[in-house]
Amino acid sequence: MKVTVVKNVLDANDRIAAENRELFDRHKIYVINLMSSPGAGKTSLVERTIVALRDNYRIAVIEGDIQDTYDADRIAKLDIPVVQINTGGGCHIDGNMIREALPAFDLSKIDFLIVENVGNLVCPAEFKIGENVKIMLLSTPEGADKPSKYPLMFQESSALLINKIDLMPYVDFDLEKAKRDSLALHKDLKIFEVSCKTAAGLDEWIAWLTRRIDAFKK
Amino acid sequence: MHELYLAESILNIIQDYAKRDGFKKVNSVMLSYGRFSCMEPKALQFAFEVQAAGTAAEGAVLEFKIMPAVIHCFSCEKDLEIKTHTGICPGCGGGEVMLTAGTEELQILEMDVD
Repeated sequence: MKVTVVKNVLDANDRIAAENRELFDRHKIYVINLMSSPGAGKTSLVERTIVALRDNYRIAVIEGDIQDTYDADRIAKLDIPVVQINTGGGCHIDGNMIREALPAFDLSKIDFLIVENVGNLVCPAEFKIGENVKIMLLSTPEGADKPSKYPLMFQESSALLINKIDLMPYVDFDLEKAKRDSLALHKDLKIFEVSCKTAAGLDEWIAWLTRRIDAFKK
Repeated sequence: MHELYLAESILNIIQDYAKRDGFKKVNSVMLSYGRFSCMEPKALQFAFEVQAAGTAAEGAVLEFKIMPAVIHCFSCEKDLEIKTHTGICPGCGGGEVMLTAGTEELQILEMDVD
């Protein structure tokens, strides 16, 4: 006997993500889901973004890692509320992990929540967590072939930050190819060329993000 | 490793339907996904077998309908199926292309049950 189903396998996760979203909407919290490979510079970007925006918004951070609290410790030094999720081997953060992390915060005192996903170019793109936008980083030493190899993440993201642009003289990174292939996956993808080390290009990212947050809070 | 989570989600959906329709055994499950959605069918089958043990879905075979990845080329205005994404049109070599299909997420289409 055949039973017709036609259902997204991640339906249960999508439902939890939608509930998270409702909660964020009620508290007017703008949420970004930050994704990249390990070592692309996510935590450095989080630190830079906090320093640039902390006078304008009340910021909180959720750090996702397989184990350890190294990243959360870095953020806590900035005196920002932070929760570390240890996925214990899991390759991504899902909606339920976010739901379980939220009681650690006073949501009425947050304007902007940054979720730093587990370093991985595959799985995080599949799991909604209730974010407003997905943001991804690609660092120049990783190579310009990543959009071709990991298309889903590039297609799901609203903005791409090409980080470690200061290393361009030392690595064979074909910037034009990376941009062209990324845009071929997502024509409205906003691309920033930045260095979290030198701060080059970060003003544009901060301006873009500020416009997004302000539009949401209106 | 997301296959473990996906296998668990598939089993949960099967259990919901087993409760509703009262079937006792699942012979096969037909799934679909886009070629570029980063799915590994063998890993998923393995994860599914491990977790299905002792349930109505024990021994069920997962069948996959893989949906093609397609680009639209703005130079030759054609829609072409591709195996890998290079940002270049395989037809005319044009560099202005857009992926129009291939990242569809994993879906259960139907099950064969007793």
